[in-house]
Parts: sequence; structure tokens; C-alpha cells
Amino acid sequence: MPFTYPHFGSLTYVFEIVLRELGRTDIMLPKKPSKKTSELGSRYSPEFVCTPFKLTLGTFIEMLDLGADELGIGGGNMYCRFGLYWPVQKLILEDLGYDFKFFPIPIFDKPLNLVKSLQTASNNCTVWETIKAFRTTWIKTRYIELVDKLHFEYRALEIGKNQADRLAEEAHRKIVEIQGLGNLRRYGKKLPELFNKTIEIDKKKKKNALKIGVCGEIYVALEPTLNLDVHRKLNELGVITTNCVSFGMLIDFGRKINPFKTLPYQKARRVAKPYIGQRCGGEAQENIGDIILYKKKKWDGLVHLYPFTCMPEIITRSIAPQVSREYDMPFLSLVIDEHTGETGFQTRLEAFVDLLSRKKDKMLAS
Amino acid sequence: MKKKVGLPRALLYYKFEPMWRTFFEELGAEVIVSPETTKTIKDLAVRYAPDEDCYSTKLYFGHAIYLKDKVDYFFIPRFGSDHEVNVGCPKFIGLAQVLDSLFPDFPEIIMPYYSQAKANHGKRRLLRIIFEIGLKFTYNPLKIIKAGIRAFKAQREYEEQLHISEQQLENWIKSQIFLNEKPNLKMRKKPLKLALVGHPYVLNDNLSNLDIRENLSQKGVDIITSLQMPRSTIEDQMEKLDFNLYFNYEREILGTIMYFLENNTIDGILQLAIFSCGPDSIALELASRYSRRQPETPLLQLVIDELSSEVGFSTRIEAFIDMIDRRN
Ligand code: SF4
Ligand code: SF4
Repeated sequence: MPFTYPHFGSLTYVFEIVLRELGRTDIMLPKKPSKKTSELGSRYSPEFVCTPFKLTLGTFIEMLDLGADELGIGGGNMYCRFGLYWPVQKLILEDLGYDFKFFPIPIFDKPLNLVKSLQTASNNCTVWETIKAFRTTWIKTRYIELVDKLHFEYRALEIGKNQADRLAEEAHRKIVEIQGLGNLRRYGKKLPELFNKTIEIDKKKKKNALKIGVCGEIYVALEPTLNLDVHRKLNELGVITTNCVSFGMLIDFGRKINPFKTLPYQKARRVAKPYIGQRCGGEAQENIGDIILYKKKKWDGLVHLYPFTCMPEIITRSIAPQVSREYDMPFLSLVIDEHTGETGFQTRLEAFVDLLSRKKDKMLAS
Repeated sequence: MKKKVGLPRALLYYKFEPMWRTFFEELGAEVIVSPETTKTIKDLAVRYAPDEDCYSTKLYFGHAIYLKDKVDYFFIPRFGSDHEVNVGCPKFIGLAQVLDSLFPDFPEIIMPYYSQAKANHGKRRLLRIIFEIGLKFTYNPLKIIKAGIRAFKAQREYEEQLHISEQQLENWIKSQIFLNEKPNLKMRKKPLKLALVGHPYVLNDNLSNLDIRENLSQKGVDIITSLQMPRSTIEDQMEKLDFNLYFNYEREILGTIMYFLENNTIDGILQLAIFSCGPDSIALELASRYSRRQPETPLLQLVIDELSSEVGFSTRIEAFIDMIDRRN
């Protein structure tokens, strides 16, 4: 029963990890979405549903055509419509004549319910085995995200071409495959050194490089097909980037239950309180908080991406200008959908980078 | 001088008016509500609200801006949910702080946060909110408590009035009673029976719904609205789904549609949705797929935004009615 799931930036690896750990041997890795995927998805989607719906639907159609028949996706009660993607997609796919089964995973439910639903998707795991699989997943996810971080730094500075890309892919694969937590930890520790040794960088560039965080709705922020590969675009302009949003932190119960540790997203929610006092879905509160946190970390600016009609992120977009002003932290909000043009997007980014570098020069001069 | 509390006539006002008004009046404040949406208010809305926002939220902006110099306070609760797991729209929660951030010249916004589903708020939280607000108007704790109790009572009574019983629903279906505007029977001998489905702030805001209620009654249509449907009927329908429709206000929309698609007791269903509304994008698609599977009772879906014209709207409704007449 080939099992597949939406392509989701480097989280694609995370989902592969969890399925492997759950003993599934019939995983069908999702294809990287293409222009065709997006067109397919849009053709059968409700008109003004948010863009991630369309792209995931497109992916499901392509994968069903290739023979998949079990579909994994997030579900359960949420703030925004994400948890209702699957019931709607189910009807659409049924009407298109496909035969399949959905496995909605309630990612924001109580841990026990989450584990139970993972168990139903597993290859006859016991509850204990499921918990272990889940734990391995969140630990591996830490390293998956670490690779991203290194990738987006080294790609901005590398002298050769595509070295960072190649190494990141290798490292991601290795983390997926590696057996045993001991081996994983040993490998993970060496990652910074591995990047450092393998990739030759421009040292002078490093000193002056701008640093920009990418935040926003999680799917757009993480899926390169949808965000027009925003990290690459910025890296190619010599800018070091990072993902402000992290899925790993949300599932990392190991760190979450540690009372001595405040995770960055918890910190972000706290500092955002005066501007937006409570969660309202998406990454709204975290995004506002990150404006403040990344300023303190001396980053140069944030790029905020959100899908057209996204409910929570329009709240961010409206409140962000005030916070950005008060903390003197440049913030660029861009709305994205399947019609967003490559050139316009590039121009906006370039203008933003120009602005930041002029600001930086001025600061250095004074 | 009584302190003036402003309630923009938009979004949740259409749900909680009795509670809010009673509460502040009992506290000794003067409640000032913006008028029914006018052209001026709409223009303000379109001019000042974020472009990509939904039309209903934009209208809220319009109403608030219209009121801003006429009141001492705004009351804009950050309302998440009044149900164990089901929620409202994220925009209801964010609205107060968005307005506060975008319009520094607004009067003080009273913005209690209440959310049963995600934040586990209950009676204690309510009590705290009641006191925190009450103390802005009076130092008499008895008066505050009384205001709170009366406010909830008023709301309960209003909802009991609004929601019909299953028996009343039967009677309406059998054309023994009217529930809304009387249909104009000069146009046709036997009125057409339609369910009008949508958010309260659309169905009850005549500028927003392009005067559809008047339009329908003129055409000899007898309507029931999703807002009136018996709660038990709605919940029975929701039980049939293989997922939980956790947008609380979308439940009555989809529940009403499912009920009439299933029972075929009326002539048609009219669903009004707001362009770029998140929950509606889901409900529209679910409804249209269900109706495809149970096509006997026709369903017309109309999507509204600030550019919709009454003429275009009217034409589509006429075509829908003609179609029903041909079938009958
Ligand atoms: S966060 Fe925004 S884009 Fe993502 S599912 Fe929710 S509404 Fe859609
Ligand atoms: S439910 Fe829809 S129309 Fe109402 S505020 Fe939310 S997005 Fe706007």
C-alpha cells in the first residue's frame, strides 16, 4: 500500500524518517512540485483557498497517478483551515475517481492522541514502539534543521558552485538513513566541521555579509517551489539566511518538557505579547516576536512570506510595521500565490537587500 | 457625563449584541453603535483596511473608523471560542490589536481575550473579565456582578428566540408559519421556499448582502436562515461527518445545507459567502461537492466582495428561481 505525503521543503525528510521509524517499507517519496503540480492543484481547488492547499492537492494527484494509495497529511482541530484540508481534498479526489485512504495526523493534539494516530499509520507498531519512533524523529529533525542552517550560510559564501547544495543533500540523506541514536549524535556533532572542511568560502565576504531571516506561514516559508526558492535567491545575492519558523521545535517534546530551556518559539511568543497577546493560528505570534529577537541577535532584517487569503498571517502583516518601526528592524512582507511572478519577486528582494546594505554601510561609517 | 462605549456594527456584533449592550448599559455607560452599513462606511472600509483582508473584516474597519471620534472606548473582544474544541475565525482574535497597531489615534480599546477551546478559559476567566471591565465604569461590585448576570441572561433569551425548535421547522416546511419577511404574493400564488445560508454579519447586513432579503421577499420567496435553524438539527448533521468541522460558525452553514440536501423538503438553497474568507472557502467546496452527490434540491452559491453589484446579483437569483420554476 504505497504511502505518500506532501512535499514540504526539508520536512520532506522528516516525514520520511517518521514513516521509516514506524516500520513502513512502502514509502513513496513525494515528487518535488513543479509548475504542472501547481496547475493541477489549482484546477481542482476551490478558488480562494490558500495556496498550500492547491500545491498539496496537486502533489496528491500526481502521486496517486504514480500508484500511491495512502495519503498522510496534518489534521485535527486548529485555528485556521489547515486541519480541514483533508476532508475537502478527500471529496475532490473521490470525485476524480481515485481510490485511496487518508491518514490525517493531528499534529497539534495532545501528545497521546498524536501517538495513537501515528500508530494507525504504522506497520503494526506497539504504542511503545510508536513513541520511540516519534522520539527518534524529533531528534533527527534537530539535525535536519541544522543542515538547513549551515546550507543557507555556506551557499551564500561559497567560492565554488553548488557545493553547499550537494553537501546539504548528502547530509540530509545520511541523517535519514543513519541507524542508532549514538551514531546520529556523533555524525550530527561533526556537521559544522564537515561544512567547514568541504566548502571553501570567501572569508572577506563573511565579515560583511548581510543576514536575513525568512519567516511567515510555515508551508510557504519552507517549500522552495512555493516560495520561489527564496533562500537561494538571497544566498545568491551574498546574503546569509535562516528559517525563523521551525517545525522541529513543535514536535521536539524532548526539549519542550525541559523546564530549564525556553525554546526560541516560546521566547518569540513571549516577547510578542504586547503586540499580539495570544495565539491566533499560523505563525503570527512567533513572527512578530522574531522581529524583536532577530534584532537582538543583530540580524539585518526579516522577509515575511504568506499565502494569499491566509487568515493568521494577514494579522502579522498588519501589526508588523509598528514593531518593525519601534525596533528599527526592516521587515518585508510578501504575499505569495501560484501566480506570483519570478521577476517581480526578485526585484522586491533585491531592493530590500539594497536597502539593508545601505543601512549597514551607514552604520559602519558612523 | 456617561462614558461612551462604541460597538462597531460588524462581525461578532451580529452575534453578541444583546450581551454586550446589556452589560455596558447596566454598568451605566452609554452604548453607541455605528449605523447600519452605509456607502460612506463602505468607502472608509475599502480605503483603510488591508487590501487582502476579507470584505467582512474590511467593513469592521469602516465601522470602527466611523465611530472613533464619537466614543470614549471601543469594545472589541479578542474572541477565540465558546466551545470545548471548536473555534471562531482567527481574525476575531487578532482584530483588536490590528486596529490598535494601525490606528494609534483610536480611543482606548477594551479587548478581553476569551477562548475556551485553545486557552481553556472558563467561568473564572469570565468573572475576571467582567470585573476588569466593570471597574472602568463603577466601583460598585454588586452593580458589576448584576451587569454580568443580566448580560448573559439577555444573550440567552435572544438566542432562545432566534433558534427555532424542530417543531417550528416542521411547521415552516409545511408553510404553516413565516419565520422572516413575508413574501410578496402578488408575484406568485404559492411562495417559493428557500434556505438562506451564511454568516450572521452577512445575512443581517443589507449593504453587505446586497439587499438580498428584500429582493427575495419581493420575488415571492419565503426564507429560513441558517442562523435560525434548530441547534439539534445542526449537530445531528455534524455527527454524520467523518471529521470535526471545527469552525463553529461554519457548522450552522454546512449543517443547514446538508439537512436540506438530504430531506428535499424545500425548493432550493442559497449560500452567501465572502470572497477570500478562509472558513467559507472550505464550506463552499464541501457544500458544492455534497450537492453534486445529492442534487435534488438545487444549491446556488454566491460569493460577495466589495465589487459585487446588485444588478449582477439579482440576475443570478432570478435565473435560479426560473430554473426552480421550470422544474416544479
Ligand atoms: S496558516 Fe494560512 S496558508 Fe496555512 S493553512 Fe492556515 S490559512 Fe492556509
Ligand atoms: S470568518 Fe471569513 S468573513 Fe468572517 S472574519 Fe473570518 S475570514 Fe472574514
